[in-house]
Parts: sequence; C-alpha cells; structure tokens
Amino acid sequence: PPLGERLCSAEEATAGSGTYTRHGFIFSSLAGCLEKRSEDSGLPVVSVVRDAESQLLPDVGAVVTCKVCSINSRFAKVHILYVGSTPLKSTFRGTIRREDIRATEKDKVEVYKSFRPGDIVLAKVISLGDAQSNYLLSTAENELGVVVARSEAGVQMVPISWCEMQCPRTHTKDFRKVARVQPQFLQT
Amino acid sequence: AAGGAYWVDSQQKRYVPVKGDHVIGIVTAKAGDVFKLDVGGSEQASLSYLAFEGATKRNRPNVQVGDLIYGQFLVANKDMEPEMVCIDSSGRSSGMGIIGQDGFLFKVSLGLIRKLLAPKCEIIQELSQLYPFELVLGMNGRIWVKAKTVQQTLIIVNILEACEYMTAEQRKQALAKFSGN
Repeated sequence: PPLGERLCSAEEATAGSGTYTRHGFIFSSLAGCLEKRSEDSGLPVVSVVRDAESQLLPDVGAVVTCKVCSINSRFAKVHILYVGSTPLKSTFRGTIRREDIRATEKDKVEVYKSFRPGDIVLAKVISLGDAQSNYLLSTAENELGVVVARSEAGVQMVPISWCEMQCPRTHTKDFRKVARVQPQFLQT
Repeated sequence: AAGGAYWVDSQQKRYVPVKGDHVIGIVTAKAGDVFKLDVGGSEQASLSYLAFEGATKRNRPNVQVGDLIYGQFLVANKDMEPEMVCIDSSGRSSGMGIIGQDGFLFKVSLGLIRKLLAPKCEIIQELSQLYPFELVLGMNGRIWVKAKTVQQTLIIVNILEACEYMTAEQRKQALAKFSGN
C-alpha cells in the first residue's frame, strides 16, 4: 500500500510493524507490501514490509564491527560493517570521539596511538547520532577496540598488550587500543 | 663511533612533513581558532593561535593571510593532517613565530638546505663577509633573506640559488666579483 493508506478497522486486526492506529483505524506508515499474519490468539496481525528482508539497524548498546576510514586529532570516522554477527548490506557511518576511546585517563588519549585507517574495530553504539546520520560509538571497555590491524609492511599484526601490537615480520611495535577478545570467539 | 645515525642522502624537491622539522609556512586561511598554512606538502598544515609564545585567548597573535611563519611540526604522519606550533616543549618561542616585513622568499632543493644547515657551513660564512643579512632556512626547501637594500637581497638570493650547481671555486670567484663593488 502507498504511505498513509488506511488499511482496515482496528477491530478486524492488530497493528504490526510499519503501521499505526488512529481514530480506530489502522494506517500504513511505510510504502511497501501488505502482510497479514493470523495469530493464534484471535485477531490477525497486519504489517507493511518495505523490502524482502528487513534491514537490521544498529541499536543503542549493540556491539558493532567497523573499519576505520579516517582519523583526526579529535575523533576517528568509521564504516559500520556488521551488527553483532550479521553483515549489513549498506554500511553506516560512525564516529568514535577521542574521549570515548578509553574508560580511564581520557585526556591522555592520542587517536593516532589508538586507531589507524584500515583497522577493524569492535565498538558499542552509544547514540543514534546527529543529523549527518553518524552513529556515535565507544570503545571504552576491555573487550572493545582494535581486533585486526596491518603494519606498514602489510602484514597482520599480533597483539602483545592492551596498547601495543607487533608485526611478525619486521618486529616493529605499533600503538593501538587492542580489544581483549573473549576466548570462546578465538579460532586457532 | 657508537650511537651514530644512518641516513640516505638523496636529491629531492618535494617536501614530506616530518615531526620536529622547522619549516617556513605561508598563511592561506584563518578558520576560527586555527590558521591553515601552506608548507609545500600534500596537505596544508594547521596552526592554533594559542601555539605562540605569550598567546592567550584574549591576547591573540597578529597573523594575516599571506604572512610567513617559521615553526616546527608537532604532528606529522601519513594518516593525519600535519599540525604546527611556534613554541618548543618548554613554551618558549626560540626563534619561531611570524617572520617580519620585507625580505625575499624563494625555493631551493632539500639537499641544499641540509648542506646550509650543517655546522660551520662555508657558504653562509663567506656570504656574511659580503653583506650583513638576515636568513631563515626552512626544511621544506624555503629560504627567506633580508639585507639592507633590495639589490643586496637579490644578490644573496641569486648566489644561494646558484650554490646548488656551483663548485667551491666558482662560488669564491663569484663572491670576489661582488665584494669589489
């Protein structure tokens, strides 16, 4: 149904996703396909579906996997690739502010020593963001931070502490805010 | 000798910002509390108005677009925009800041700058016997010269530019011609 079309009376069915109730009738709030599901407990549920699969949106408090695209002395800009363990069809933009990188000693944080462009980072959504649709993310926990990073030589680095990673080929150490991944998620 | 440093000398004209280098920048824009400087690199450098000796929020430095600034890099890497300051780590200016009026700014190769910055550089010693002049050398290949008259300034500029390709003998001959005047 087109947006705003009156679907049916509120006595015949219950409003599902993509619909709303007004003046005793159910209207659609999306332009899409009408779906009617019959529930066991009486009234069927009417919903409007936009795409074949519904887009999974990052919610406040969700852990997301993102890739750093640029850094600044005040914040890091990232592309959100996965929400939990489901990949997103289109990437969202996120921002990690300098004061949200660590939980302790926030004023001594240097963004250049925590993230670099190209790093894969686990972060938590703290706000749905501003008008530019940039989600606000935070890595201020032990389990959050850089998971995969490449050294200048192009080799994947190995974490040696919560703030350092080492390249296995050149043995140079780089500073990153490293995530302490839970043992059950590590694959050997 | 133990504890020495190794470096590879190369001919290069294009400057890449390095942390700690002292360079001459040209102010291109004033954006709020930050000046944008052209230092000859791939990106413009930013300079905060508080990064001058004795600068406070009320006492701002008098910097206009087009001014020359001698400062050093605080942050310079390939991932971020370079940042410059005109004070050292203890808060003193130590020769950095806005370069005064008049004078002449020109560009040379990076190798010549390194030669001129070497201790007891012959070229500078011989030139100083010719006329008195002020000289600022930027590691980004820029030199600023100011002498008493425009003619003297231009003579020094031409000699410095030609030093790139002259041998020591040719340089002494050229200077002998001018010290006669």
